[in-house]
Amino acid sequence: MRVKVLFFGRLKEIVGRGEDAVDLADGARIEELFLYYRGSFPELARYRSSLVASRNQEFTPWTAPLRPGDEIAFLPPVSGG
Amino acid sequence: MRSMQEMTPITEDLFRLIREPIDPLALIARVRAPEDGAVAAFDGRVRNHSGGRSTLYLEYEAYEPMALAKLREIGQEIHHKFAIHHVAMVHRLGKLEIGETSVFIAVSAAHRGPAFEACRFAIDSLKRTVPIWKKEFFADGAVWAEGEIPPLASHARSAESS
Repeated sequence: MRVKVLFFGRLKEIVGRGEDAVDLADGARIEELFLYYRGSFPELARYRSSLVASRNQEFTPWTAPLRPGDEIAFLPPVSGG
Repeated sequence: MRSMQEMTPITEDLFRLIREPIDPLALIARVRAPEDGAVAAFDGRVRNHSGGRSTLYLEYEAYEPMALAKLREIGQEIHHKFAIHHVAMVHRLGKLEIGETSVFIAVSAAHRGPAFEACRFAIDSLKRTVPIWKKEFFADGAVWAEGEIPPLASHARSAESS
């Protein structure tokens, strides 16, 4: 199952790119997707508690199961205005 | 001579993310119509200091399609909550210098109460829920501004831990 992944703000700087695509096992959840990236970029762990996730441009729980073709984004606290 | 219809300015809601300077007067003109007794506006600007340090400039980035959708949701919400006529919400992205407008909101209504309240609600909601991020540049470095965790997502996180 392939999903598109987006990173913003400091996460984009840590991961070194704003967009990625990854293959995951069926039934994987957003939390597992985050753990996948945390494996490569341990610094992500310290931001986990302040992050929210979105699926297809809607805020979504980290327990949400992924579906093929989903667009998942990891969003730091927002600071517009 | 033009007909009355041609002379009536277009007034409608407007939600936009742009990379050019914001034109506040154009947005005010966009929302006001003859039946409106009030236009309230919020002009968010780049301040020259943050946390006791002198700011050089800011950079804004957004998750653009989602940010635009969230701006539209805020627009729908204030139409439901307040007796307003039209709303314009524009946020600028990219590099902004001190004194430039980063966000502008204009709300028209028959009366000033709903216009003020809706404008306040709109900027407060924007700062809490719209996926836009600000990086502050100082003489000795740069930091991502401390932001707010969107409240809907807070529910999602507590649901996860239960």
